[in-house]
Amino acid sequence: MGGLARRVSYIKAFKHRSNMEVPTLLVDAGNLFTDDRFTASQLPPEVMTRNKWVVKGYGAFRHDAANISYLDLPYLAELLKKDGYDQRLADYPFIEKLVSANIHPMDEQYREPSPYVIKEITLKRGASGKTLRVGIIGFSEPKPAGPNGKETVYAGFRIDDPFEAAKKILPELKRKTDFIVALAYMDIGSTQRLATENSEIDAIIGARQTSNMDEPQHFNRATITYAYNQTKYLGELRVYMKGDGSPENQINRYVALDSTIPDDVPAQDVVTQAHTEFTADQSASASSAAAAPKSPALLAAVDSPYVGVETCAGCHEKENQVWLNSRHAHAMATLEQRNQQFDNECVRCHVVGFQRGGFQSLYTTPQFANVQCEECHGPGKQHASNPGKGYGFMATPSGCVQCHKEPNDPDFNFSVYWPKIQH
Amino acid sequence: MRRKLSLVIAAMFITALAVINHGCSRSASDADDNDDSLAVDLNDSKIKERLGVDDGYAFAIMYGADIHGSLETCG
Repeated sequence: MGGLARRVSYIKAFKHRSNMEVPTLLVDAGNLFTDDRFTASQLPPEVMTRNKWVVKGYGAFRHDAANISYLDLPYLAELLKKDGYDQRLADYPFIEKLVSANIHPMDEQYREPSPYVIKEITLKRGASGKTLRVGIIGFSEPKPAGPNGKETVYAGFRIDDPFEAAKKILPELKRKTDFIVALAYMDIGSTQRLATENSEIDAIIGARQTSNMDEPQHFNRATITYAYNQTKYLGELRVYMKGDGSPENQINRYVALDSTIPDDVPAQDVVTQAHTEFTADQSASASSAAAAPKSPALLAAVDSPYVGVETCAGCHEKENQVWLNSRHAHAMATLEQRNQQFDNECVRCHVVGFQRGGFQSLYTTPQFANVQCEECHGPGKQHASNPGKGYGFMATPSGCVQCHKEPNDPDFNFSVYWPKIQH
Repeated sequence: MRRKLSLVIAAMFITALAVINHGCSRSASDADDNDDSLAVDLNDSKIKERLGVDDGYAFAIMYGADIHGSLETCG
């Protein structure tokens, strides 16, 4: 599901279907860069490569704006460094389309991101001939920390109160534009508050929490819709205009980016180039980590709370046989067939304990590849050293749908799948 | 004579500008407007269903989020 090549393909089809009469904006509500393994103010080379290709790909395929979320800040720091900025902007003009009204640099070495962009479109329907100025503004919540905590400083940037920032900047944007779209990386309650407190906003695209509601919500003047995780479903907000050029109505749809939508060839070329470069970087990085006998990666594996399936099978042979005959035992092979074994967004559901002290990479922790016992039953180190009852309870189907959720596995049916692995 | 010369120079200048601007409008940032590369068969019934009915909308906002560094198809 998802992917740039299908997204571009669908949008082209959408434009052609309407005889190129309908201006179409393309926006991202946040978390477009990965901050995986961000430590000591640095991102690993392969993570930098992935993010670089996002900037490149989004620019090449005419995304109009992207909201900066707290997750984007480690890479944003690289993009907004004053040193070398002009060359970077020449290479990746999309940098200027990254917006945030409430994120600011902590020191002088970074440039201030734009709070908004304004896009002019000429209408051919509703108010034919009218040029509409659409303002696109971004907001992010602070970085969650602990059960109820929030971090307002991250990766060299300060995340101010988004509601105060909205009150400060929206009146200015309203004077310059005819229609305001707010991109909001925040929970549903906060998104609704943003709409309630600010009558300037016409539409809010929310993210971070998925909503399955096709019908948009309406608060104050604004229509609120929510983006699907990983853009596996593309949001499509249709705007209808009155003859006088004012908005009449908005209708929301979600478009499944599944195999029905063929890949756009030029976009797929970009994805392939990105994949090739990222995979090479990942392989080099993982090989050097494996070669270093006391690398942090290996130490983490030694200290892992997971023990791996071979240890489990020592006592639970019957259950192990069921597992060996299941697709869980071959989950990594599925990714390898698609050459996605280094894509962490995919890998997390094909291994044990990803980013929880288990699987790190095929080079450093191959023993934790595939969906093994402990992915469902929990880390087993303590149980293996002191076997007894009380370990291994698994909630079903709520545990299963952590990965077998609708965008990943639209055909998932617990009553059909469960007998295949029951033990 | 001088007036004619001025007109010719002005016409050449406008032509040159038009050529330059045309070149810019086909830059990488407009790559998705390249009609030749349309991969979708608009007459395909599944595609028609996915596109929905064209009911007169004036403009559209396509949106997504949370790609977290991945341009690839996944899941």
